[in-house]
Amino acid sequence: MPTEARSSGWGFAVPRRAVVGLATVGGALLLWWLATSGLRLLNPLRLPSPQEVWAAFSQISTGQGYGGATLWQHALHSLWLVAKGFAVAVATGIPLGLLMGWSRRAEALINPIFLLLRPIPALAWIPLAIVWFGLGDTGKVFVIWLTAFVPSVINAFTGVRGVDPVLIAAARTQGASTAQVIRHVVVPGAMPMIFTGLRLSLQASWTTLVAAELVGAFFGLGRVLNVAGQDIFPGMILVGMAAVAACGAATTWLLGRAERRVVNWRPAV
Amino acid sequence: MAKRRDRNFLGPAGTSLGLGEFWALTAAGFVLFFAVWGGVAASGWLPPNLLPSPLAVWDTLVRLWNQPFAGHVYAEHLSASIQRFLMGWAIAVGIGVPLGLLMGWYRLLDEIVTPLFDAMRFVAPLAWVPLAALWFGTGIGGPLLIIFVGSFAPCVISAYRGARLVETRLVEAAQTLGASSRQVMLHVLIPGALPSIIAGLRVSAGLGWQSLVGSELIVVGAGLGYLMVQGQGNLNTTVVIAGMVGIGVVGFAIDVLLRAVEAAFKRKWGQA
Amino acid sequence: MSEIVFEGVTRRFPLPRGGEFLAIDRIDLRIEEREFVAIVGPSGCGKTTLMRMAAGLDFPTDGRVLVGGKEVTGPGPERAVVFQQFALLPWKTVRENIGFGLMCKRTPKAEADAAIARYVELMGLSGHEDSFPHQLSGGMQQRVAIARAYVMQPAALLMDEPFGALDAQTRIVMQEELVRLARRNPRTVIFITHAVDEAIYLADRVVVMGRNPGRIIETIDIRPLREDGGWEAMPIEEVMDTPAFTHMRSRIWKLLKAREQERPAAPAPIPATVPAK
Ligand SMILES: Nc1ncnc2c1ncn2[C@@H]1O[C@H](COP(=O)(O)OP(=O)(O)OP(=O)(O)O)[C@@H](O)[C@H]1O
Ligand SMILES: [Mg+2]
Repeated sequence: MPTEARSSGWGFAVPRRAVVGLATVGGALLLWWLATSGLRLLNPLRLPSPQEVWAAFSQISTGQGYGGATLWQHALHSLWLVAKGFAVAVATGIPLGLLMGWSRRAEALINPIFLLLRPIPALAWIPLAIVWFGLGDTGKVFVIWLTAFVPSVINAFTGVRGVDPVLIAAARTQGASTAQVIRHVVVPGAMPMIFTGLRLSLQASWTTLVAAELVGAFFGLGRVLNVAGQDIFPGMILVGMAAVAACGAATTWLLGRAERRVVNWRPAV
Repeated sequence: MAKRRDRNFLGPAGTSLGLGEFWALTAAGFVLFFAVWGGVAASGWLPPNLLPSPLAVWDTLVRLWNQPFAGHVYAEHLSASIQRFLMGWAIAVGIGVPLGLLMGWYRLLDEIVTPLFDAMRFVAPLAWVPLAALWFGTGIGGPLLIIFVGSFAPCVISAYRGARLVETRLVEAAQTLGASSRQVMLHVLIPGALPSIIAGLRVSAGLGWQSLVGSELIVVGAGLGYLMVQGQGNLNTTVVIAGMVGIGVVGFAIDVLLRAVEAAFKRKWGQA
Repeated sequence: MSEIVFEGVTRRFPLPRGGEFLAIDRIDLRIEEREFVAIVGPSGCGKTTLMRMAAGLDFPTDGRVLVGGKEVTGPGPERAVVFQQFALLPWKTVRENIGFGLMCKRTPKAEADAAIARYVELMGLSGHEDSFPHQLSGGMQQRVAIARAYVMQPAALLMDEPFGALDAQTRIVMQEELVRLARRNPRTVIFITHAVDEAIYLADRVVVMGRNPGRIIETIDIRPLREDGGWEAMPIEEVMDTPAFTHMRSRIWKLLKAREQERPAAPAPIPATVPAK
């Protein structure tokens, strides 16, 4: 994408994209303020003003908080659940995907189970998870595991199948055993694809978690949203949404760092 | 003659299963799934209201088909869900695809929308539920917004990518042949972007269907998700699983249908 | 003990729509210990397939391949392969790529490091030990691939168009380097190439192959020419200007051309052994 720079007059160049982007976001914020607070065009019960959102943020950040805890406690709780479910999914899904990718027999045997279960979105497991595990954390870790498990398996599988057979042949002529081929050729070769899957499933995990917490939870960002919805507290709803977005962005950023560390051998894109 | 030390000596790419072996293993996979499920259900380790047998689920499906549960028979729940999904998805496609195309063609629009888009990107679709309920109520409008939010992004992104991928060379070639800008759009830009758009539609339909399920768990009075929530409320696991079956079948059908469309387009234009 | 012998080797590939494609038809070839044999032939005549069978990556449908008197049952570090597509592991550095076979053999670290350092030096890769393959030019990548083969101290070297992807200048430098290496420690070598020049310059014997089906048309001994002409002492461009060289070159060209005219290429059997990329 062309990002030509224009001279800023201060002696350094500012990319045009950044200028327009900042102007847009600034304009949107201004519009929001005008519509809600400045000119009072909108009913504050529909869209809260920036000040109300700030007030809600102050309320939940300090003292008693809101919905039973402060924002940090809710957010940490949600983060912790996502981390647990995600970690279990990675630890189970990637080995299974590698196995299915490496062995056509394993693929033929296991694929039917995926055919049966894959069309059912993880969200649809939430009621069952509640029956099985109640409203506590276990059920949420379970549905997050389901969310991230399928993409982990599929991308590890696709990654293995994408490894250049010449590389395997080359390793064999160098005397590599099957274990060495898998460790030094197949797994690293599948890594970029695996990370692609992880990025997708991380986003999906947040959606699942929020849904599960909205359906019923004692803590967490979904709980904040739920209580705020029942209280008809629009400011707090926006705070909850922003917090979900911030957590999603933060975990995605972390995953990106991990990816750059692990897949450090590729030309930068 | 066979001298390779193991079948995957050169990795999976070189190997193939005989047709017989493939189908035997596939059949075994299906059998294994139902055997484990039925076996655990029959063993009595778990109370039947936690894990009903496959047969019990089938019986329940048949019963739900004939007798109303949560106010409606199964087919009505099913069609309520499908209608809601189709409406929300149609709105997302109707707004998202043109927006993406325009962003691909007009740089200023791209520069304006992209930052807003990026700012909203990480808001999980289901986090819109309370706001959707506040704005549009829990009847039809609220869930529509959730489905819209869930399936909008891939529509925009795929149309944007598609528009960007059309080579300037093709546009210039058409222009030198005397095409008007309307003709360029109709005969070059839109067909050029179509493969990417169709691939994006499949992704967005999948996400939209998921969002529908999520929204129905929370805010609606009919539909498969609602059926499941009612089943869960009564600790009636067979109803919950019967709902999951319907969701899976529809999700599968949507995917198969759009894959077929995608394949048909690829055949027609010979694109990989 | 590393002569390579093909005995009545035939290779058929099953065709996707049923039937079989005869890629190699009853080839007999004996490559003596420490002999450098170049194979030339048109695309699709089965050069790569022949080399893969010597490497133990593929097996004859009929006939036998023997190395050092033993039938080939799989690859082994005593036969090193340089692939048409370099085949370096993109996630390993130059050092790790060269040392991969040593690691597989569990060579003690000090010993492995010394061997790697020697070949890094020898192949002019100093200063790039910790680069990843994508950070190297094509010529350097190929030198890593050759170093990776040599470091195993193999008895036989199997090279499949190792210079195919290089530009003309780099190619000449690499050819001279290869001659230098071959003189310093001679090995049994199968060297596949499209370039007739290269084959004559490098090899003791040139095997000319034809296609449909893949077979040997003629085997030509170059040694008398080299020894009489004193090529060893001359730079490559001068060698290529000698009348003996140009004469040999046109003789091989004629062989290749005659076969193509006499038997027009059958409808191209497309799928290659390994997808490029
Ligand atoms: N695995 C395979 N399956 C089917 N056909 C194959 C396979 N490998 C090679 N062939 C066919 O065998 C013939 C010889 O292939 P080979 O790769 O050995 O040719 P080559 O002489 O190395 O050609 P080039 O000079 O282009 O590399 C080709 O026609 C090819 O299509
Ligand atoms: Mg070849």
